[in-house]
Amino acid sequence: MEREISYAEAIREATDQAMGLSPDVIVLGQLVDTPSGIFGTTTGLAEKHGRERVQDYPVSENLMTAAALGASLTGLRPIICHQRLDFMLYSLDAITNWLALWRFKSNGKSSARVTIRAIVGKGWGQGPQHSKSLHSWFAHLPGLRVAMPATAFDAKGLLLESIFSEDPAIIIEGRGLFSMREHVPEAPYRVRFGKALIRQKGSDVTLVALGAMVPPAMRAADKLRLEGIHVEVVDPRTLSPLDRETILESVSKTRRLVVADPGWHSFGAASEIIATVSEELGRSLLNNPARVTHPDSHTPMSMTLEKAYYPDEAEISSAIRSAMK
Amino acid sequence: MAISHNTIQQLGDYRDVQLQLAGREVALELYWQMLRLRRIEEALHEEYHPADEMRCPIHFCIGQEAVPSALSLLLNSDDFLFSHHRSHGYYFAKGAPIRELFAEIYGRKTGASGGLAGSQDISHPASHFYSGAILSGAVSIAAGAAFGFQLQKKSQISVAGFGEGATDEGAFWEAVNHAGAKKLPLLFVVENNRYATFSDQLKRQNADNISERVQAFGVRSTKIFGNDAPLVWKTLKGEIERLRDGDGPALVESYTYRWNSHVGPEDDGFNKYRPTEEMDFWKRNCPIRLLQEKLFEAGWIDEATIADQEKKISQEIAECFDFAKSSDFPEVSDWNALNFGCESPLADALLGDEDSTKFNPLQNEAKLAPY
Repeated sequence: MEREISYAEAIREATDQAMGLSPDVIVLGQLVDTPSGIFGTTTGLAEKHGRERVQDYPVSENLMTAAALGASLTGLRPIICHQRLDFMLYSLDAITNWLALWRFKSNGKSSARVTIRAIVGKGWGQGPQHSKSLHSWFAHLPGLRVAMPATAFDAKGLLLESIFSEDPAIIIEGRGLFSMREHVPEAPYRVRFGKALIRQKGSDVTLVALGAMVPPAMRAADKLRLEGIHVEVVDPRTLSPLDRETILESVSKTRRLVVADPGWHSFGAASEIIATVSEELGRSLLNNPARVTHPDSHTPMSMTLEKAYYPDEAEISSAIRSAMK
Repeated sequence: MAISHNTIQQLGDYRDVQLQLAGREVALELYWQMLRLRRIEEALHEEYHPADEMRCPIHFCIGQEAVPSALSLLLNSDDFLFSHHRSHGYYFAKGAPIRELFAEIYGRKTGASGGLAGSQDISHPASHFYSGAILSGAVSIAAGAAFGFQLQKKSQISVAGFGEGATDEGAFWEAVNHAGAKKLPLLFVVENNRYATFSDQLKRQNADNISERVQAFGVRSTKIFGNDAPLVWKTLKGEIERLRDGDGPALVESYTYRWNSHVGPEDDGFNKYRPTEEMDFWKRNCPIRLLQEKLFEAGWIDEATIADQEKKISQEIAECFDFAKSSDFPEVSDWNALNFGCESPLADALLGDEDSTKFNPLQNEAKLAPY
């Protein structure tokens, strides 16, 4: 039987292996050295690799991000961890004004090898300050790579790739995915940025699903097959760079497009994907493209509102049925 | 009496420069370096208009030559220096090539940053010099470099050069907190020139007491009259030596003044943000003039030597202008390649390529606990 581990265990394994492969890899973040270890993703690493390399850091997100850049200039490859992406917003200056343009500003003579892990909360009343994804914001920036792994396999491969590459990256991790188990090879491996995956082949409609939307998208596609609708599920895996080619190739075959994006409706990743397809294939589409997203609203706490807020498998299915009309 | 911008002016004419703090060789070198930096800045200032070939904001550092000149004698080539928008003095302090500074300002391919950054964002990675226009951003990065050196048990130090304006920022105090908590090999150098653009420090802060405040964070500090070059050198030397011995962090607050406008050669006096008497005080107490007087008194320099040096400096400056003006402009290139690297040698060496489409979506999402 193939080895299966959870998404959280895959992140932990990637970090552990990276630290074993290179003494330059360090982990910084609030509480990274505690037994709870960022939902199990750093548990035991301080004991194994030392508290210098796995350091609890002051509650200073802006400094932490800029300092990770400074540390990388001395040869280190820091991974910085945020238990919720919302907390890292203090570091928007460090990300936008420094990290993302470090390579550009130095005319390619210096680069910032920093990996930012940002966890997006969902459910159990996380509310408006514990649940923002903002992947579209970050993907808007030149010079910053953005990954949205949906599976344990991709979580490990994309993290290792980020750590050992030469440009900064933000990895957006859906907290809801942490328990999901999948086949993950034990040996360290890479998943390259900018390479989408066709998770399910189909000929009727292309469903591009990002990050936390991948599981409901897959379930919707499975059920729609019983209705005779063959959905091709494309998982871009990284938003920056975005594998536009694979998406366009799929849509040129199906001529229908639905995008499931775990973010706000307007000005987001779904909009960008639809714009790309419209620019290239607009005249050949059989129906208007559609997006399944969060409403343009902050996240509510109450469980009934939460249920209404997050689009689910049924909402994706209904968008696809409409696209088929 | 504790130094502050208000008390300094009561000094009238500063007469306390002591050559023996630096010794003959260092005092002379400080003088030549300050003179060189002054002439470089004056030449750029002079040439800026009406030629209009330097098409980027320049924050000149005329009047603030003592700190950069002292650092140029004290830092090793592998030490890191991070500065703000008033970058030329610090670029100079790190020994980065001046002609590449000129070419950068002229927006040429041969510039230190290939014409992509300009005066306020210039860097010279080979010299471990970096700058940027967002206040205090570079201080935080300097703290990270110091953290990196400490973690790797390297002997280098990291220096952050900034003005008192940067200390309004929360990021600055985050860096001070971390430096104090971890005893980082980090030297904070505040060139307190009183004004953030046109805004007096006392409009923005409770008191002119940055040095006192950082001590509460475990950062030792010294405040000095920053136009006394031997004193500046001696103070920085002492702190740099202690940092190299693992006894960090430290802050040196050097009180000085910019003679020129906040940015560019245009006069910004119409904003009426600083009194004439204040400018007169600082011009009378010019760092170069103060040192020169003492060097003459000691008989360590004479007019002929100065004339000779001035000639060498003029030649250097003329060559820098020639280099900049005769260099090509950058060509429109691959925008993507300017922003993203395409090679990842370490990942190539360490990681295999694997891919898998396997995924069982019939799994429940993780149920979040309150934490």
